[in-house]
Amino acid sequence: MSRPLVVGVGNPDRGDDAIGPHVAARVAALGPPGVDVVERGEPVDLVPHLLERDHMVIVDAAAPRGRPGRLRVHVVGATAPAAGAGGAGGTHGFGVAEAVELARALGRLPARLVLIGVEAGTLSAGEPLSAAVSGCVDEAVRATLTAAGR
Amino acid sequence: MSHRRDGWMDGLADGDVEALELRAATLARVEGEGGMRVLVRDGQVSDVRLDIYEPPRFFEALLRGRAATEAPDITSRICGICPVAYQMSACLAVEDACGVEIPEHIRLLRRLLYCGEWLESHALHVYLLHAPDFLGYPGAIEMARDHRDAVNRGLRLKQAGNAVLATIGGRAVHPVNVRVGGFHRLPRTGELRELRAVVATALDDALATVEMAAGFDYPDFEQPYEYVSLRHERDYPIEAGSFVTSSGEAFPVAGFPDRVTEEHVEHSNALHARMGGGTYVVGPLARYSLNADRLTPLARQAADRAQLGPTCRNPFRSIVVRAVELVVAAEEALRILDGWAPEGPAAVPVPPRAGTGHGATEAPRGALYHRYELAPDGTIVQAAIVPPTSQNLASIEADLRGFVQPRIGLDAEELTRQCEQAIRNYDPCISCATHFLTLTVETDDTVGPG
Repeated sequence: MSRPLVVGVGNPDRGDDAIGPHVAARVAALGPPGVDVVERGEPVDLVPHLLERDHMVIVDAAAPRGRPGRLRVHVVGATAPAAGAGGAGGTHGFGVAEAVELARALGRLPARLVLIGVEAGTLSAGEPLSAAVSGCVDEAVRATLTAAGR
Repeated sequence: MSHRRDGWMDGLADGDVEALELRAATLARVEGEGGMRVLVRDGQVSDVRLDIYEPPRFFEALLRGRAATEAPDITSRICGICPVAYQMSACLAVEDACGVEIPEHIRLLRRLLYCGEWLESHALHVYLLHAPDFLGYPGAIEMARDHRDAVNRGLRLKQAGNAVLATIGGRAVHPVNVRVGGFHRLPRTGELRELRAVVATALDDALATVEMAAGFDYPDFEQPYEYVSLRHERDYPIEAGSFVTSSGEAFPVAGFPDRVTEEHVEHSNALHARMGGGTYVVGPLARYSLNADRLTPLARQAADRAQLGPTCRNPFRSIVVRAVELVVAAEEALRILDGWAPEGPAAVPVPPRAGTGHGATEAPRGALYHRYELAPDGTIVQAAIVPPTSQNLASIEADLRGFVQPRIGLDAEELTRQCEQAIRNYDPCISCATHFLTLTVETDDTVGPG
């Protein structure tokens, strides 16, 4: 399938972890032509998409490192990312990196696969997006549309 | 993972004692977060602890003061793997409290939805969490490099379960179409036609799963379990039935709280359940052993080919039983889809009244019990939830004792790995087990930090 697919990953009710679904919902509302959107994807369920699609953009919160709102765009290449992905963790430890590596182990990744990470500030249950992360939503949406070729 | 001699015994053991600690600080390939410690002193297993440190989640307190109609949606959030189980047990308990019986077409649609959850949950555990143990890989990613067809099959099965949940329940995780009394809307014929094709493929994949699992090597290990499961007058137990035990007891769902007590143990944020003061086991092994005569036709044939026999007491063979239950789920889903001719509305009214209701269904990991006490207007006054993993925790620890003792001579790292595999036999869901209300932490200063 050649249509680009945008997937937001994260829990909408856990502070900045909501940024993936938030950005994906904004992209869906803009309705870029020819782009499919899954507003909230589960990491394990990313794998079938990774095995089928030629072009995917995954938006997720990145672990807090002291600069909330910092945007990182990572184009997944032929070599394994240094994310320390492994299949030995529990299901709570199965994230985007593990989904990508499982699909790679199964022999296929989209020809163009872009991961957009927005560094989180707070991940507290029931909290809204932090001010720092709210402030970069427009930039993340633009980056996602660009990565989707629109 | 670590193992050490004279580790946490420091300052406690005298110098002559030979102590060996097998320790997994964080259990791999389970649902949720917990650890394991097995202590061997002077050649004897002296202490076994399944440390459940995932924080408690207070769901039962959260339910008080809420409307009974909210119970299915609130409790489904206890687990992302088995939300349907929570919805179904909650619906049954509320309908029981209100004295309402649901019509047959709604029971069938619930069973179909539940089959989807069994497909999702069992496929995830069999292929991504448990099979790597038997095939000698640290995890599914490493296994996938050498066993692409198998892992693809597992992912297809999980996707088939997702499709059932999305079609019947409205979405693949935490379905939104379930309500007390039935569903918000019935599925459309065209949707079910598409779903049938997916489930038919899942049946083939489930049969291939039994064949794969039957070919694994299993440690020679059997336990004298007391099994507890639901039993239905006709069907393999999923969304309905009353309790039976392997010692010959039979009692209605409302009799569960009279027989089962939950107790707090120091090292766990999850309660341990006991029946008549003793440990017992729920889940696929219990269901199979107490309902082998209720298997669907192809599942029966597959179990025979896998040489399962009428009962199974080797917990390592639970992966074969889970595979057989994948066949049950696919066969039952197809049977319901093929016979679907709903007569009646999507839901029946459930007028509130004061009373206490009990509900139990067979979650993928075993019997899940709910009890609600309602005020006259349907407000929840008290709630109690007993998930399968709480019921199995004491048996998991007993298994570890029995398993480690004759294997003490093994390399500690290998023995630790095998202990983790023994825990994974139960597909423990730690997130479910830590839902409970009260938490009393008592520290024992003689035991060092983990």
